[in-house]
Amino acid sequence: MLKKKGWLTSMSLVLAASVVLAGCGGNNNASSNDTAATNAGNTTKKEASSDSKETKNLTFMFRGGTDEQKAYEGVVKQFEADHPNVKVKIIVTAADQYATKLKASITGNSVPDVFYFESGDLKAYVNSGVLLDLTSYIEGNSNINLDNIWKYGVDLYRYDGNMAGQGNIYGMPKDVGPFALGYNKTMFEAAGIPLPDKDKPYTWDEFIKVAKQLTIDKDGDGKLDQFGAGFNVNWALQAFVWSNGADWIDSTKTKVTIDDPKFAEALQFFADMQNKYGITPSTEQAQTLDTYQRWMKGEMAFFPVGPWDMSTYEKLPFDYDLIPYPAGSTGKSATWTGSLGIGASAKTKNPEEAVELINYLTASKEGMDALVKAKVQIPNLVDMATEWAADTTTKPANKEEFLQIVEDYGRVLPGHYTYNAEWYNLFFTDIQPVIDGKVTAAEYVKSEQPKMQKLLDKAIEQEAKSKK
Amino acid sequence: MITKSNLYRKEKIYGFLFILPPLLGLLIFTLYPMIYSIYGSFTDWDGLGQMSFIGLSNFKDLWTDELFHKALFNTLFMMLGIPIGIVLALLLALGLNRGVPGTTAFRVIYYVPVISSLAAVSIMWNWAYNGDYGLVNQFLDLFGITGPNWMANKFTVKPALIIMAVWKGVGYTMLLYLAALQSVSRSYYEAAELDGANGFQAFWHITWPMVRPVTFFIIVTNIIGGSQIFTEMNIMTPTGGPEYASASVVFYIWQKAFGNFQMGYASAMAVVLGVFIFVVTLIQFRMNEKQSFDVD
Repeated sequence: MLKKKGWLTSMSLVLAASVVLAGCGGNNNASSNDTAATNAGNTTKKEASSDSKETKNLTFMFRGGTDEQKAYEGVVKQFEADHPNVKVKIIVTAADQYATKLKASITGNSVPDVFYFESGDLKAYVNSGVLLDLTSYIEGNSNINLDNIWKYGVDLYRYDGNMAGQGNIYGMPKDVGPFALGYNKTMFEAAGIPLPDKDKPYTWDEFIKVAKQLTIDKDGDGKLDQFGAGFNVNWALQAFVWSNGADWIDSTKTKVTIDDPKFAEALQFFADMQNKYGITPSTEQAQTLDTYQRWMKGEMAFFPVGPWDMSTYEKLPFDYDLIPYPAGSTGKSATWTGSLGIGASAKTKNPEEAVELINYLTASKEGMDALVKAKVQIPNLVDMATEWAADTTTKPANKEEFLQIVEDYGRVLPGHYTYNAEWYNLFFTDIQPVIDGKVTAAEYVKSEQPKMQKLLDKAIEQEAKSKK
Repeated sequence: MITKSNLYRKEKIYGFLFILPPLLGLLIFTLYPMIYSIYGSFTDWDGLGQMSFIGLSNFKDLWTDELFHKALFNTLFMMLGIPIGIVLALLLALGLNRGVPGTTAFRVIYYVPVISSLAAVSIMWNWAYNGDYGLVNQFLDLFGITGPNWMANKFTVKPALIIMAVWKGVGYTMLLYLAALQSVSRSYYEAAELDGANGFQAFWHITWPMVRPVTFFIIVTNIIGGSQIFTEMNIMTPTGGPEYASASVVFYIWQKAFGNFQMGYASAMAVVLGVFIFVVTLIQFRMNEKQSFDVD
């Protein structure tokens, strides 16, 4: 058998290997952070003169599907051609690995010069001096007209040290992603049902009525082959809750408000679509992927559509279009608008060029033209977007809906406002029994509220600490 | 005299130079992060800014953290795959050891999952488990059974992950057993046969004790590996599964550290996990020492 000494060493190796997980180096000592943060604010623009002939190197880290990657790589090439003295090194990852990789690089003190970040992480990154303050570079720049970029998008990356949404700019929106509701036009025509009005949302009752007519067992085998709708609770519940006048969090962003009866009503309606009205596939029958597949196979009447899917839906064998979400008791539609920001590292050696690249990707005509042509996003520039939406010959015809969401009724997801989104995520972690009809919405919100409040309190406490 | 000592010193230096790279590697990539994370577990570090010492507060929070308990339970539950894997692998090894035709081909077939990328394997099984179009349910359909949507149901998601883990690991275990079986001297069996032992008795009194060291090795390494299970759930159930039913401890650590800016808390969990593995392994070594005997 193993000798005493032998197993002692192997034991310690075991222990070592199992604890390695957490800290990956990273010694961000406080002093260097503070100086970096103040420097970032004070950097004078003249210092980094762009007319010097030496080559400046930038690293740009981003994520995206294959179509998106190709599009962005193309725009970066174009940027290099326009700026012969700047070389950009691209680091690209799949979407699900991005956050880990970025956070590891921050912990390890090797932040890329230019990178994507989630609007929800803004506060944490600003408080710990990771992000460069872009305000002076952008507001004084004659090439950028902030009025011509979606206010919603820019505001997402403003932070005054207290509230997100106002103050200095720490990032520019890569895009804005309005999550609209789509419907299968061909299916409506085949069933002889009048097409939905693109300006007047359905009431919940009307929506159920139409969806029921389109939920059909075509071959009579007792299994449904066509569904009225398919909603993933993580991404579609917001539309129902908000349009019913409720929300996850109050206006001070300190109290979890899911125990509001209006909230419970919306959640119950959402669950009833599956359990009572039978217009959506049950969870057993379908996870996101499957409803997505069903929609693409033309087996689903209503399905949420994001601009990032436009290139994929181009090839669908049916015609689809966009409408507002069915409206709850407020009579008004609601949905969320996603966004990703592009920011620069507070420690970048070439802030001038880094901001130049950000602007090229988010605010320049050249950059936007290429990205919109690739059909991976809607234009960031308002005038370009209006022109783009007016063209009703490409699918979906009612692209105007996307713009209305951004300008009018789109909102940001509740987790954005808080230091982390753990409290909000817990809501969806535990939600399954409600969706399956095993627990009523009223019971659920009552039992879940204190748990979420506890996590929110913790996030608030964490935020206070991070400012010191 | 002088020359000899010079030579000695020189050799000593060379010797140290040769062991320096792995030693440095151990210090930088193992010991330093380990100590760092132990230190981090006593702080409220968010992974970005400065750390401040908060004593045992993280560990106290762990005590009442429902999700941590859930993740711990899930991790332990999924270790049920270890005995299943061992039995299967031993049976396969016994079969292959009889010299059936095509042994080499079978060895390769069973070993292919072992060398495949875990990420790729996870994606493939995710398709197989798909409720509507998945291979698994189509297969069950042949027998008139309507399969569940494996990954979306809190009761089937863990068994589904166990099945996949067993499939992935069985080739490696089998190969170890095969090597062990082949080193058992024929003479024992011949003696047993003379004494009138039947097949099962021969297995129970000769084969099983003889492969004991291998079994021990497999159990120890599997428990350590099983405690750190992560990739599968990260790919197959990126939100932790229905009602967090497939989240493992490492998955939860990762979520806390990289999703919620709680590196200190995550470090505390890593320390707890490390201690757990240390203790479990220690117990096994002790038990093995007691029960071992020499067959000479």
